Amino acid sequence: MTDFNRRDALKVGAGAAAAAGIAGSAEAQQAAPTIRITPERGAQLRVLRWRRFVEGDERAWVANTQKFTQNTGIQVRLDNESWEDIRPKAAVAANVGRGPDIIFGWYDDPHQYPDKLVEVTDLANYLGRKYGGWYPVAQRYGINNNKWMSLPLGCAGNAMVYRIGAVREAGFEQFPRDFPGFLRLCQALKRNNKGVGFALGNAVGDGNGFAHWLVWSHGAKMVDDQGNVVINSPQTIAALEYAKQLYETFIPGTLSWGDINNNRAFLAGELALTANGISVYYSAKTSTDAAQRAIADDLNHANLPIGPAGRATEINLATQAMIFKYTRYPNAAKEYLRFMWEQEQINAWVEASIGYVTPALQAFERHPIWTSDPKVTPYRDSYKNMLWSGYSGPMGYASAASMADYIMVNMVAEAASGARTPQQAAERAAERANRYYRL
Amino acid sequence: MTDASNSAIPTRATGDSTGMDFLTSLPRRVVTVYIPLAIFIFVLLFPFYWMTISAFKPNAEMSSNRNANPFWIVSPTLENINHLLFNTDFPAWFWNTMLISTAATFVSLFASVLAAYAIARIRFKGADQVGGIIFLAYLVPPSILFIPLASIVYELELYDTSWALILTYPTFLIPFCTWLLIGYFKAIPYELEECAVVDGASRLQILVKIVLPLAVPGLISAGIFAFTLSWNEFIYALTFISSNEEKTIPVGVLTALIEGDVYNWGALMAGALLGSLPVAIVYSFFVDYYVSSLTGAVKE
Repeated sequence: MTDFNRRDALKVGAGAAAAAGIAGSAEAQQAAPTIRITPERGAQLRVLRWRRFVEGDERAWVANTQKFTQNTGIQVRLDNESWEDIRPKAAVAANVGRGPDIIFGWYDDPHQYPDKLVEVTDLANYLGRKYGGWYPVAQRYGINNNKWMSLPLGCAGNAMVYRIGAVREAGFEQFPRDFPGFLRLCQALKRNNKGVGFALGNAVGDGNGFAHWLVWSHGAKMVDDQGNVVINSPQTIAALEYAKQLYETFIPGTLSWGDINNNRAFLAGELALTANGISVYYSAKTSTDAAQRAIADDLNHANLPIGPAGRATEINLATQAMIFKYTRYPNAAKEYLRFMWEQEQINAWVEASIGYVTPALQAFERHPIWTSDPKVTPYRDSYKNMLWSGYSGPMGYASAASMADYIMVNMVAEAASGARTPQQAAERAAERANRYYRL
Repeated sequence: MTDASNSAIPTRATGDSTGMDFLTSLPRRVVTVYIPLAIFIFVLLFPFYWMTISAFKPNAEMSSNRNANPFWIVSPTLENINHLLFNTDFPAWFWNTMLISTAATFVSLFASVLAAYAIARIRFKGADQVGGIIFLAYLVPPSILFIPLASIVYELELYDTSWALILTYPTFLIPFCTWLLIGYFKAIPYELEECAVVDGASRLQILVKIVLPLAVPGLISAGIFAFTLSWNEFIYALTFISSNEEKTIPVGVLTALIEGDVYNWGALMAGALLGSLPVAIVYSFFVDYYVSSLTGAVKE
């Protein structure tokens, strides 16, 4: 693991000048933004963050935090929880009014209790001006009622993970970018006895990632801009018909897959194509097992194909920092976030985690990590390519509850497996979604 | 009369067997006892077996169903145990879990003994209803209680300390133990206590010197239940503890050994195995008491 990071550091070293110059780009220089935050005297911070996805992520984050403490004298206590357990802990902190000063939440968390959070508009504006602006979807996640109530950090992207040899053997020199081509690839892989599988179980990351992409890419959506449930539509039926054809190429068991199953199957050589974060590649590449490293050599990534909607429609694990109003040190918390979001820290962190999290600020797409290893490049665009949770409606309780209830995932799974007809599956999804959106 | 009965009723049994022996013939025993028992043992022990072999499997065998036998280990390794013990805070989690479970069990047993004895023996008005209400409290799911409890824990500044769990676990342990002990105390004959009263014993002396020694199996049974429930508890431990070194085994193992969508199965199973051993040992020491309490036997 250490060897990999050293080599990786050497590779990207050539582009270090470019990384250092991210903020020095023309648009950033023009604005020359500044912000002055004065931390409270004697401040101490407690930060709750999700448990690392890759080892380098945590190492770099801790090192950056220690640097902050050295610079400011502010002690920061970093706690970790399993990423799926962060949301209930954040909800308890919000409801009880006590807990960590900063929590790194997921998706629409800040929109569920915006009144419990410290406004960070000044900080977000400063960072946006300095680093090429926020991606539009980052603004969706960060802004509530015209105020920035959380600071988007980035997203753990989802991309097609495939075996180069198998795809080539199936007759494709390049990974297809459209839906008919993608279906032909899956069918060819199946004919060649190469495994294809996407999570259709209640998998927070992979299940939601696959189902939302599939439905949205056909122009369908759960709710309209006003939050009215519109999932039972011809576009949804078309998406589900497509899912049925795709499902016929899957290996058995995908209906019960959680987030971990495709990782295991791919690394065991049972899969030639799935969708996942960069963790499969990271595990294979950093493994001490020669067979695993051989898989890494034959592995590549591609962005999720574009469907009839004509644009990228991914949903990726978006994470943002929330400062809670109960904190005694709101300025120290803001200063900590400012420091961690500055390019010196973000660069080191993105590099160490080989781009597992794609930053929400546009300037960081020029980071050399995205081009030093071409296999990582598709994840560069993860934030740019995604829509928000509960698209295209407002975020809040209903969007969070609908996702937590796996309505979209279950609908796709039911139709794909034939448990329900596409029409029945769409009707059931609408019925379930209405329970939350009509409250 | 016995002889006459035996001669009058023809028996299907042959040879030396008499009476109902034909019901316990070997084929029948195989069908009615051994096969169900084997299925039962398989269902109960297979997860434990799976956990054990996974704890000693190398990663290469763990990830592949094609190239390795999922039910056996070809090249056992201690790497997973090593990782668990020396690269995580498992020893601290183990100590925390032991301390919290033991303390919560004793606190709960103390309170439950007093409550159960009062309800079973002091004939106050509404005693039965109080017993019912206490049991109903056990049915309130922790997922509803943890938010108000969190508020109290924060107010008392117990957040992120072992005390947060030692004092909240009794909220579900006391109702259960009380309910269990009420039944046990009721099975102890009144006459024993009446004799003690005649000899001049106070109520407290009766409880300590007469009732509790007779109720040892019940206390052990309640204690084992309380200890096990505390040992495995997840929601409160997740909510009230944040520091890695203060966590209990169920939360600590999950936090440290699950990295996003990559599970360190070997180390996770090693954690589950080592984490379940103390409970298994406690059971094995007290299994006789445990069985006798469940069968409601109080020897007079």
